Amino acid sequence: MTMRLVAAELVESRQILPGQWLQSFHAPELATGSRAGQFVHVRTGDYSGLVLRRPFSINTADPATGIVTLHFRTVGRGTEWLTRVREGEQIDMLGPLGRPFEVDPRSHNLLLVAGGLGMAGVRMLADEAVRDGRQVTILFGALSASHVYPSSLLPDEVEYVVATDDGSLGHHGYVTELVPGYEAWADQAFACGPHPMLKRLAALAAGRRGRLGVAKLGRKRGGQTDPLGSTAARRKTFLQVSMEQTMGCAVGACLGCTVIGVNGMLRVCREGPVFAAEEISWEAIS
Amino acid sequence: MKARAGAARPVGVTRPRVETGSAAVADLGAPNVARPTMAQREALDRIDLSIDIAPQRGLVLPNPILVASGTFGYGVEYGEVVDVQRLGAICCKGTTLRPRAGNQPPRVTETPGGMLNSIGLQNPGVDAVIEKYGPIWQGWKVPVIVNIAGDSIEDYVEVARRLDGVPGVAGIELNISCPNVGKGGLQFAIDRDAARAVTAAVRRATELPLLVKLSPNVSDVRPIAKAIEDAGADAITAINTLSGLAVSSDRMRAFLGNTYGGLSGPAIKPVALRIVYEVAQVVSIPIVAIGGVTCLDDVLDFLACGAVAVQVGTAIFADPELLVRLGDELRLECLRRGLTSFKPLIGTALPKWAGAASAKGAEYRP
Ligand SMILES: Cc1cc2nc3c(=O)[nH]c(=O)nc-3n(C[C@H](O)[C@H](O)[C@H](O)COP(=O)(O)O)c2cc1C
Ligand code: FES
Repeated sequence: MTMRLVAAELVESRQILPGQWLQSFHAPELATGSRAGQFVHVRTGDYSGLVLRRPFSINTADPATGIVTLHFRTVGRGTEWLTRVREGEQIDMLGPLGRPFEVDPRSHNLLLVAGGLGMAGVRMLADEAVRDGRQVTILFGALSASHVYPSSLLPDEVEYVVATDDGSLGHHGYVTELVPGYEAWADQAFACGPHPMLKRLAALAAGRRGRLGVAKLGRKRGGQTDPLGSTAARRKTFLQVSMEQTMGCAVGACLGCTVIGVNGMLRVCREGPVFAAEEISWEAIS
Repeated sequence: MKARAGAARPVGVTRPRVETGSAAVADLGAPNVARPTMAQREALDRIDLSIDIAPQRGLVLPNPILVASGTFGYGVEYGEVVDVQRLGAICCKGTTLRPRAGNQPPRVTETPGGMLNSIGLQNPGVDAVIEKYGPIWQGWKVPVIVNIAGDSIEDYVEVARRLDGVPGVAGIELNISCPNVGKGGLQFAIDRDAARAVTAAVRRATELPLLVKLSPNVSDVRPIAKAIEDAGADAITAINTLSGLAVSSDRMRAFLGNTYGGLSGPAIKPVALRIVYEVAQVVSIPIVAIGGVTCLDDVLDFLACGAVAVQVGTAIFADPELLVRLGDELRLECLRRGLTSFKPLIGTALPKWAGAASAKGAEYRP
């Protein structure tokens, strides 16, 4: 679906974790037209002080009910304003924006890796994959047990594995340490979280090819390869990452949201937010 | 919520909005442009919003609401969200002779009532711009003004030369004031002689209408504006962004990858008004105002200070529909005042004796 301005009515708002909110909006155009990995650019109420919209991953989208959800943490005046919107009020969303995750039709086992709020970036992919009959494992990392995304908010079919930095729940350590245990099982991996986490995953994915001989997917006879950044190339890659950057327009016009790619600047809002790991110049990411 | 004049909405969609001048118009019983009566329709149709912003060469815009360079890409990015054919003109992203990668990210951040940007003139170079967008622009009725930048007079001249005669290019806006690229713009904009030299050189290189964009980062802008007029510019656009800084959340460094950024948005409107007010008193070529326009009242303020048209930049990000709405609202404002053109609104706030009150504009006066 092409992007448009949508009036989304808040139907439910609740705090699911300390400082983290899950809001449901009635926005049928977005619920039917969006794919996992895409985002919306939300206008805040106070234009005199806050001049920019705020980008949020589309956390879930249900075409049957017309409901989309956003999951966010209050980090400033814009997100605080959003928590004060009342049920029944409409807010202005521009979307759906950006390019989605691309799942290879042959992939059966999907590994989703999320760090903290990164859950919002991959959450919808779990729904899509389950719907399409794929196996999904989510590896989730958080500071401590009190920051762990509730399993009740995930589809029953998903295997959910948790790591906490302080060991208060699940694996004691970083979520990336769980990944090697799944690399033989997974056909493809999809990740969203802090950039250091994504960088570590990209390094693991680069090494995976060596350890497993050849990647199970990603080979093409005849030597002709799809251009980097194309949908076809992304579909065949092992690791796709959803990146974050501060944004102005979110439609590709201002060049404000770039990250450094191996072939030059990439707009997170337009070429991304989902990229194949090989597209990113990881040395430049800190 | 009040029914909003001029805001033609998709069916059943209302959104919370900042009140603007048009709300006051609606209160006075002025017609809703979305559903006017026959007589009102005819009166509205008679109102002429067209304006020639370069009378020496002729650059007639259908209305005085332009989009500011760098905030609207090449006119295609907003897709169906904005009907570009209803705009006064589009100033495209700053274009240089060779491709530029731009500055290190992060490049934008919000500030109170505004934002900082340090894009650093990322663009594919003039040849690629012509090849990729020229054919699209040619098919549009909205004029496209190509904003150009360089770090030598020769660069500016060469870019202008390549644009000269390209179908779909209606004019050139010289960015001599981008504060982002180390040596790229600032010298020309802060130095009267350099501003004169680059304007004169580009003037000789092209017959296209030539707009020159002022930087606010100077102590007195008037001698520079005068030099630009003398060097043959058709119009002055003002202002570019103000140089600023933001600090990272851990307070260990500057937030932007480029350290410095350019401030834009409502926060800079008073500065832009002051500069337009001053420049209007020393030049006789048209002035196109830029800086913090978010509503009809802002447009009217700039017109009153001597601008013949305005550019809208940062406000597009929050409210892309604003661009088209401002034209509609200006038309209504003219109707409400019994005018058939907005031109009588230009310069009404300027002092009656040109020059007199402008003597100390840039000084601090408590
Ligand atoms: C993201 C961004 C990029 C910009 N890029 C350019 C540019 O390439 N060339 C230029 O002359 N001005 C550029 N500007 C300045 C704007 O054209 C305008 O002068 C300024 O933003 C003030 O207007 P506003 O307050 O309506 O945004 C840019 C501004 C922004 C916010
Ligand atoms: S936010 Fe403007 S180009 Fe991405």
